[in-house]
Amino acid sequence: MAKATTTGAEGSALLRWIATSGLLLVVAVPCLFIIIQAIFPDIGSGSLAAPFSLFFRTLSDPDLFGLAGNTLLLGVGTVFFAALFAVPLAALRALFKVPGAIIWDALLLIPFMIPPYIAALGWIMTLQPHGYMEQVTGINLAGLIFSVPGIMIIMGLNTFSVVYFVLSRTFETIGARYSDVGRVFGAGQWRSFWRITFPLAMPGLAASLLLVFAMSIEEYGTPAALGRRIGFDVLVTGIENRISEWPIDLPGSATLSLVLVGMALVAFMIQRWLLTRRDYRIVSGKPQASDKRALGLWAVPVSLYFGFITFLATGLPILAILATALSRTISGGLTAENMGMDNFNELLGKGSEGLVALGNSLALGVSTALLAGLLGAITAYSVVKGRGRFRLVLDALSITPNSLPGVVVAVGIILAWNQPWLPITPYNTPFILLLAYICILLPQPVRYATASLHQLGDNLESAARVSGSGPLKAFIRIIFPLILPSMVTSMILVFAVASRELVASLLVAPIGFQTIAVYIWTQFDQGSAGLGMAMAFCAIMITTLIPLGLIGLLRWLSKGQVAGLN
Amino acid sequence: MTNSSQTALSIHSISMSYGANKVLDGIDVSLEAGKVLGLLGPSGCGKTTLLRLVSGLLLPDEGIIEIAGRAVAAPAKGIALPPEQRGLGMVFQDYALWPHMSVAKNVAFPLEMQRRSGAECRDRVAKALDRVGLGAMAERRPSDLSGGQQQRVAIARAIVAEPPLVLFDEPLSNLDRELRECMVEELSDLVADLNLSAVYVTHDHGEALTLADHVAVMRGGKIEQLACPDELVSNPATVAVADFLRLGCLLPADRNGDGWQVEGTSVRLPDGPVASAKSTLLLPERAMRLGSEGPAQFKARVLRAQTRSTGHALTLGIEGTNHLIRLVSAQRARIGDLIDISYSPEELRWFPA
Repeated sequence: MAKATTTGAEGSALLRWIATSGLLLVVAVPCLFIIIQAIFPDIGSGSLAAPFSLFFRTLSDPDLFGLAGNTLLLGVGTVFFAALFAVPLAALRALFKVPGAIIWDALLLIPFMIPPYIAALGWIMTLQPHGYMEQVTGINLAGLIFSVPGIMIIMGLNTFSVVYFVLSRTFETIGARYSDVGRVFGAGQWRSFWRITFPLAMPGLAASLLLVFAMSIEEYGTPAALGRRIGFDVLVTGIENRISEWPIDLPGSATLSLVLVGMALVAFMIQRWLLTRRDYRIVSGKPQASDKRALGLWAVPVSLYFGFITFLATGLPILAILATALSRTISGGLTAENMGMDNFNELLGKGSEGLVALGNSLALGVSTALLAGLLGAITAYSVVKGRGRFRLVLDALSITPNSLPGVVVAVGIILAWNQPWLPITPYNTPFILLLAYICILLPQPVRYATASLHQLGDNLESAARVSGSGPLKAFIRIIFPLILPSMVTSMILVFAVASRELVASLLVAPIGFQTIAVYIWTQFDQGSAGLGMAMAFCAIMITTLIPLGLIGLLRWLSKGQVAGLN
Repeated sequence: MTNSSQTALSIHSISMSYGANKVLDGIDVSLEAGKVLGLLGPSGCGKTTLLRLVSGLLLPDEGIIEIAGRAVAAPAKGIALPPEQRGLGMVFQDYALWPHMSVAKNVAFPLEMQRRSGAECRDRVAKALDRVGLGAMAERRPSDLSGGQQQRVAIARAIVAEPPLVLFDEPLSNLDRELRECMVEELSDLVADLNLSAVYVTHDHGEALTLADHVAVMRGGKIEQLACPDELVSNPATVAVADFLRLGCLLPADRNGDGWQVEGTSVRLPDGPVASAKSTLLLPERAMRLGSEGPAQFKARVLRAQTRSTGHALTLGIEGTNHLIRLVSAQRARIGDLIDISYSPEELRWFPA
């Protein structure tokens, strides 16, 4: 069999090498160095002495149990609150004629666009003692927000829309396909919801909750902003601590990283298993028009409920950010004479630090989007075309970053590129940020490209080959243009996330090099909340309006063009 | 397509396996320039694999493939030309038109790959599109065309560079029946006009018999019979060929003492080959007539009768057996009737059991 494979079906060898070396550089090297560092504590000074000595010490450290326990607790708690917010909304949305349903859907997309750390800062401004809540209503809820359940609720509000969208679509589709059949055979609407729709939606619900779990154990900003004040540390903040605070503990952070990756990996594997299991197919596809029940008298309370949750998830953090950004001084409170554009003027003034940070982030975001998009497309192509063991390795490498939290990527990159024996290194240059962002975000373009490659008929490429085109030319002329529309969409997503990424930027940015997130974080830390929030507001505007505009432009340009892909 | 009388394609003892599964087993075929070879068989018989071996999209385990006298695949000698170096034209089952290019760009692609000048490309693309009757559609997108039009574009793309060999991979199977019948005729005219050398893969024996000068009937990775259409129909080499081509009713027969009869019954048959005691007999549909005027007869009961545009499709049970005959007759027959069927014994075909 060795030689008896194919010529035409194999794809370009050049692209295969690009994909392999790109993934090795971006993904494998940082992972490898975390493992090496965890095993050999003195690798930094070029010694393989005392292997595993610190590994077991860290693993048996009571700190670790505390951190891992807190991480699990936070993950499970966030999942609980996300489900609590999402399931009733999704069920109502799917089964009843909710007034303004399209508008609620659009508003519930906004939490995807607000980075969780910015929302958390907004909540702090609102609920802290003498915060906006107390100023407006006189109620002081500081005890709630600076508590473990408070962190869970806020992270639940940041993540529940993932669950809401998956679940409401699933409920609708199942409702139209199967639950109606149940009703034909005599089950009432509620009966058929509980007996048919809900059990069929379970795998989808579980998968989306696992995604929430993974997101919450990997999240840095919220637990760092809120948990630090009450001494609640999780693995992510523990790792960040060990690498940024004296005494720096590289082996410890490497070991903790392995534990965190292990947890994320388990969540990711279960999710993947749920989504690919055959017996309970995850119901997907367009919801069909089904006869939803009118809400009648319940229309008003249900609308109020939608409005309340949506306000908590989107309106409140954004208003708090805006209020802080517009306040001349924080102590001045919410009064008319305290409002002004001073912070924006300072932020966007000529030659200000803020403008530099904005420029840095935009440049990094665009470069990351282009490079990750290209590498993602080439990788997905090589995996789809690849064969045997080679394909397995490439596939594994390309999905590994799914379970690599940003903080772990940062640790790996520091460990790998800060080795004293390296003759040249991107360390301490902006390129190190580029490496980190590409590693963190690579799964996005790979996923988009793979899905879109699977939609292309195999023969499109075969036809080019038979017509006299070599494999590389077939990729450039046929495959790449055909997957380009969905690649652009994924690149826009990558841009939006990369341009305001927080934890990796804090850890690996060269000294004195500011990005949007670093700027917000340090301004807030130094007590210039107003400046920080002005930047946060600009960041939200830029990184949502630019992508939205681009997507709209793309839709308009490609209207009626790239239709009819097989 | 202006080859002299050389061979367009020759395939010597080609074999190919996927793991332990032998998909092709010692295939030998050759094709004169200007002729069409049909590869006919049920799905899984290896015909598409054979075509992909010729195209270079797959490589054989052993054997030699030559296109227009040039070896393109010969594992023993380390020859394995990729598809782009074989200079072929190919029409795919799913058309495989590139949706991001206009019709003209699709057709121009093979010429572009040969680095022809822009003016020459335009000329030849226009000529090829005119040949398939789509001259007016050059600037459309493939997605704007109907299935039949898309397949015509695919055909234009395959012939535009005037390749020494054109491959057709079940090109009509995605079209509906009426369009298919019309396209078979068009394609057959086109192939004759351009004097194309072609390999045509299909599972439809009607298409194969209409289009091909020689038909290879394939089964289980082997060629059961390679012959011209007339020969296939009048002299099928094996039971499998007769069965696949649906030439008529296959009956098991055995000999006892004074003559042949349908196995396990007392239905008499005319004399067969003397050598063996058992045989399988083909009673060709075209040899049978309703009525008792023919040289030999048997009785059959009408089990089903359907009205078709071409006559009455009858399903008959040979009286005294469980064997079924299907035939189309101009006469009507009522279900349950016992009728006479006559045939000429020299049209029977006997196969070793």
